[in-house]
Amino acid sequence: MAVIRDVMPAFELFQPATTDDALALLAKYGSDAWVLAGGLDSFDWLKDRIKRPKVVVDMSQASGLRGIKEMNGGLEIGAMTTLTEVVRHPLVKEHFSLLAEGAELAASPQIRNQGTIGGNVSQDTRCWYYRSGWKCYRAGGNICFADTPTAINREHAILDADRCVAVNPSDSAPALIALDAQMVIRGPGGERVVNAQDYFVGPDINIMRMTVLKPNELLTAIRIPGTWGGAKFYFEKIRDRQVWDFPLVNIAAAMKVSGGKIEQIRMAVNGVAARPLRLTAVESAVIGKPADAATGEMAGKIAIQGAVALRFNAYKIPLMRNLVKRAIGGVQEAAWKS
Amino acid sequence: MPTNKVNIPNYRLLGKNYTTPDMVAKVTGKSKYAEDFRAEGMLFCKLLLSPLPHGRVKRIDASAALAMPGVKAILTADELPPPAPFITDDGVMIPADPRAERGLTNEPLYQGEPVLAVAAVDELTAAEAIEKIQIDWERLPFAVDPMVTLKPGGPNARTDGNVWVVPPPAPPKPGEKPAGPPLPQVQDFKWTDAEYAEFKQGKLPMSKPSMEWSYGDIEAGFKKADLVVDEAFVTPNTSHQCMETRTAMAYWQNGKVFVHCSTQSTAQTVPAIARWLSIDQTNVVVISEYTGGGFGSKVTSGISLTIPVLLSKKVNAPVMMRVSREEEHYIGRARPGFHGRMKAGFTKDGRLVALDMFVVTDGGPYGPQGDANSSGRIVSLCYTPENMRWRGVNVITNTPPRGAQSQPGGAQGVMIMEPVMNKAANKLGLDQVAIRRINAPAGKAGIGGAIKGKRDHVTSAFVQEALDKGAELFRWNERKSQVKKSGTKARGIGVAVSAYSAGSIGFDGLFVIKPDGKIYIQSGVGNLGTESMIDSHRVVAEVLGVPWEQCVVTWGNTAKHLPWTCPSGGSQTIHAMTRAAHATAMDAKQKLQEIAAMDLGGTPADYEVGGGRVFRKGGGAGLTFAQAAQRAIKLGGKYDGHEVPETVSRMTKASVTGLAGQGLLAAAKDKYKRDGITNSYVAGFAEVEVDLETGEYRIVDYVGVADVGTVIHPRAFGGQMFGRTSLGWGHALAQKWVYDQHYGAPLAKRFYNSKPPTILDVPVNNFKWAAVDIPDPETPVGARGIGEPPVGAGASAVLNALVDALGENIFRRAPVTLDIILTALETGKPGDDPLTAHI
Amino acid sequence: MEIIEFARSPWGQDVPIHISFTLIWVCGIAGLAFLIGHAIYVKFMAKPEEFEATLPEAAAKVPAKIARHSLASRLFHWIMAAAMFALLFTAFLPKVGFPFAWVTYHWIAGLVLTASILFHLIHANFFLDPWAIWPDKTDIEDAKRRLLRARGEAAPAPRKFAKYPLENKMYHCIIVLTGLSVTLTGFFMMFRVSTPFFTRNPYLFGDMTWGWMYVLHGLAGVGLIALIMAHVYFAIRPEKFAMTKSMVFGSIDREHFLEHHDPKRWVVTESSK
Repeated sequence: MAVIRDVMPAFELFQPATTDDALALLAKYGSDAWVLAGGLDSFDWLKDRIKRPKVVVDMSQASGLRGIKEMNGGLEIGAMTTLTEVVRHPLVKEHFSLLAEGAELAASPQIRNQGTIGGNVSQDTRCWYYRSGWKCYRAGGNICFADTPTAINREHAILDADRCVAVNPSDSAPALIALDAQMVIRGPGGERVVNAQDYFVGPDINIMRMTVLKPNELLTAIRIPGTWGGAKFYFEKIRDRQVWDFPLVNIAAAMKVSGGKIEQIRMAVNGVAARPLRLTAVESAVIGKPADAATGEMAGKIAIQGAVALRFNAYKIPLMRNLVKRAIGGVQEAAWKS
Repeated sequence: MPTNKVNIPNYRLLGKNYTTPDMVAKVTGKSKYAEDFRAEGMLFCKLLLSPLPHGRVKRIDASAALAMPGVKAILTADELPPPAPFITDDGVMIPADPRAERGLTNEPLYQGEPVLAVAAVDELTAAEAIEKIQIDWERLPFAVDPMVTLKPGGPNARTDGNVWVVPPPAPPKPGEKPAGPPLPQVQDFKWTDAEYAEFKQGKLPMSKPSMEWSYGDIEAGFKKADLVVDEAFVTPNTSHQCMETRTAMAYWQNGKVFVHCSTQSTAQTVPAIARWLSIDQTNVVVISEYTGGGFGSKVTSGISLTIPVLLSKKVNAPVMMRVSREEEHYIGRARPGFHGRMKAGFTKDGRLVALDMFVVTDGGPYGPQGDANSSGRIVSLCYTPENMRWRGVNVITNTPPRGAQSQPGGAQGVMIMEPVMNKAANKLGLDQVAIRRINAPAGKAGIGGAIKGKRDHVTSAFVQEALDKGAELFRWNERKSQVKKSGTKARGIGVAVSAYSAGSIGFDGLFVIKPDGKIYIQSGVGNLGTESMIDSHRVVAEVLGVPWEQCVVTWGNTAKHLPWTCPSGGSQTIHAMTRAAHATAMDAKQKLQEIAAMDLGGTPADYEVGGGRVFRKGGGAGLTFAQAAQRAIKLGGKYDGHEVPETVSRMTKASVTGLAGQGLLAAAKDKYKRDGITNSYVAGFAEVEVDLETGEYRIVDYVGVADVGTVIHPRAFGGQMFGRTSLGWGHALAQKWVYDQHYGAPLAKRFYNSKPPTILDVPVNNFKWAAVDIPDPETPVGARGIGEPPVGAGASAVLNALVDALGENIFRRAPVTLDIILTALETGKPGDDPLTAHI
Repeated sequence: MEIIEFARSPWGQDVPIHISFTLIWVCGIAGLAFLIGHAIYVKFMAKPEEFEATLPEAAAKVPAKIARHSLASRLFHWIMAAAMFALLFTAFLPKVGFPFAWVTYHWIAGLVLTASILFHLIHANFFLDPWAIWPDKTDIEDAKRRLLRARGEAAPAPRKFAKYPLENKMYHCIIVLTGLSVTLTGFFMMFRVSTPFFTRNPYLFGDMTWGWMYVLHGLAGVGLIALIMAHVYFAIRPEKFAMTKSMVFGSIDREHFLEHHDPKRWVVTESSK
């Protein structure tokens, strides 16, 4: 049977008005259902006829999932809030600019207008073998095409690989982890809340999914506590093109510095493993140290411990090291105006 | 871009900005492209693409697909007309090539090659039908990397070999027309063990070539040299990635086929379709008013349009083939990547006295491409080596078919040569602009190899002027001494020169001055975005001295009586068609003068034309164009087209007949003399800034100065400078193909994977262009094309600037992505794989 | 129900990729059904089997304790058992809804199993009687007799067993087959993942070869679920418990010996330990 790509097949479209209705649909259709947020990840899968749901549950009409509100000194962001809305929201910009920066570096303006924060954190990996529809581990097969003697794996993982070497491409995810955000998940059994860093799952635990979200569950909101409001933030994304490109590596850090010394810190990177990694070893090593280049150097070296390069991605190791260094010690700017 | 000006004196319209008549439709979304058309009862077709990089169809079982409701027909390669010989308008016989690409195939030579098509009531049904088709395949050996197929014992991409060989043309028999070009042959070619050993050391072996030419005495040249530089470089394969894919819709009426397609050339697409279908060209109508980009990939549209054409005939209904982005990646053409090695000898003062150039091209399965040979010709022109040998191996790979892409071969040649120039200047302690100036072509500079001791030459070249103007605009000397490294940043500047063909001759013009006094110009040029399909006709208004508003241009539909026109490829249009326009305007002028003399007395020479009138010199009696048009209709004969000029081509003759009797008809072939081959030149200057901790770099400033003769339309010219330079930057920055060599399958098929540059990757606010504004002496209005040379200049100026910022030991191939830079900075060795293709 | 899952290879070919994981449940349930069925059969339907009597003079020579498994054999058995359980749990728990990082444990257990098997091969072939575990002519003849008698037909009484009852020998045969399948395929499958031993090379074989290798590994794996269930079940059955004890303590007593074994076929000497 021949393969054809880039023609979206027919499916039944539901646009539930409430989250409950959506959950009922997911329960009813089980593995035949597909949850659609902004569609930027979904449409690729659907157009290429690789994922073939019979039913698409479009969340765009569900009430209460879109918008940002203040909550206990922090924020609650509806999962269907677009990245553009997140980027432009005054409270996000004022208190949690780390998230605004990360979200603004995602994709392109057009994509950010359509793409949602929930979709951005829950998106699937962009491994080009997997996305070609090749039946790899992540697709339920028995091979990783990206880690073979001839594989092209410049964009793949240096840490925590287990059979699969794909990476998580989200730009908002590390920012949320650094802000101690929580993911609000609703399922048939009601609501559960997980910490952002625990929302993501590596191939060692579940090689076919990127998050702990079960097929019958929905991410409804993201809560950002007030804890890190107004802290010193650092976000940087390294990519080949200045727009519409996934991160090769990105980094998000929130620091509370007092008297030149780091009092508290959260740091997360993405693009290096199948899930965004919180760098707890770095965090504990730099507490009490001055927020300067020397501490950064030390932190960078700790960050890359255990990193394993594939044939084409060894550069990610120094890149991650340098980004960790910059997140703590800052960037030494050039004397000229650029 | 307000800083940019051209300064061509003495023209009323040429060199001035204006709004082309297609512009409003384009910016308001009203323009209709091939896929916007619908016809009664229209079906859609979808393609079944080969899953194998090389294989043979053993059996097709389409029964389940054909049994589906809504599925109308399937078209396989067996139903295509076989390749047939054809005779060009000049009477040259082109023999049938059994190895030529066809719309569908039973022996796919690359993954993604169309094998069959299904027509159905809608695309969904067609796609589902495709999924129900079962094909039994025979797998055949394949190679996607030219280096792999050249290894001893390496697989061949074609069953009969891996390298193209073009036999020398047969000498013309006395009294006969010259024979057509001989058919390319395929050879099985492998490196020797010694050459393979050199390859394993990371060096491109200068093996036995499959083509070569030379001039001068290269050995003597090297003896004279004080410095010999031996460098290899690898350039990327880059898809054209036009915004509009090669969609086509076709229907047949009364034995004629009407094809809505996406093409660079309107008139020239007619004979191409006729040839592909083995039908007479009078039975082909091409409709293409707007084309969403071509860059060489749609010179006469694409052979894939034969699929809806033949399906339409088979089912007797219009058939639309919308080509998806996925399909466009496969059938949409790409620039062949080069593996090049240069051995160059310089004297102490920087003169290039000997150049031994060797290239291996990754030509895909169909060919051979002209890129290989062009690379040598352009290098010989750009850097004027005193003695040169060019050798090439045109390798066949199981990757999508290549085609011309802006500055085909020239860009690759420049990209391979520029690092050599850069290195030589650094070694000799010379300024980078100075070494290029010393070796720059001037006047009737030579190009290509010598045949019987004689080389071709160009019409003109003012490259030193371009370098001087660019250096001044860029403030080269001032910036040369700026600090290179500060904080975590490094910056560098680079210059590159580039050249390419920029004009052909011998085509026709056609227009009618109607009794309403307006000039109705027929344009056979394609609307590929360069605006030359309108710009070139400004010459008519200029010569006849009428306001542009009095001209109406018809384009984009060969049923509307268009003249024989050059293909819009190789940036020949503005040159070829301003000549044709000039010739036709002169024809009109002559006819106007004759009519005036007939009506008002005196001889034609007593009259002059201007202001929409023909009038007696020094003032006095005259006719308006409206009156002259009426008189022409009354006079008939040659004046209104009832008598067809002998000199124009077959298509123009038919169009003249079609338009006859409507007014004063002017039709003429460009028969102006030209001494030399027309080329244009660009000197590019770039500044880059590199982040030493991430390897990221940005082009912060760019100046491009073009030697293109008379600039006809500055805004369109600026668009070409910016667009084609950006295309070149893409080659430096990130754009490439990626292949999995185990399966011979492409991985970078979508924009976000193949990474062409975006508007945010290029210095949109710091891009300056200028022209040297010296008209070409060998063409009436002095105009040459601009669409090619900015590419190589753009790519190489940036790469040279990177070397200036970081030193020489960083990269050996392009694009230079941040991983390469960072790895090199970390390890102190070049950060790239030297020779593997498609990584 | 599908037994094998197929996938489209990058060349559009349908290749097997592994067994259908519902076979885990099928084998588990089949194993359970077998042991329930067997227990019911033995309890309510089976007639006690009669064997040829042992000659008193031969019986007289049998000592009070007869060595059945050497220490090395017992160690091998229990190490293998531990590895086998580790393999089964690491293989199948994640597939039935208990996800954890299993791959490294799985291949380490696989290596332990392989090593223990290699040891066993050498030990059994060079230090034990290698033929003792394979059915001989008498076993076949007796099997026929037992079958006929179980069906109530006339047949001479079968002889008692040699060192291993036929059921034991047959079980060993099946374990050899499944065990070799699973270890050999498992060994090559280590090339598919990253281990410290060699460069990962998932392209060591073609798609089709790999596919069938995974299927064989899976079939043997799920087969082992049922086989091990049966094995454990027999080990704890009261009439076989003496043998289980011998796998712990090494020997059986004279009474058990005389009831089940034929001293002519299992010649007990001092050196037969």
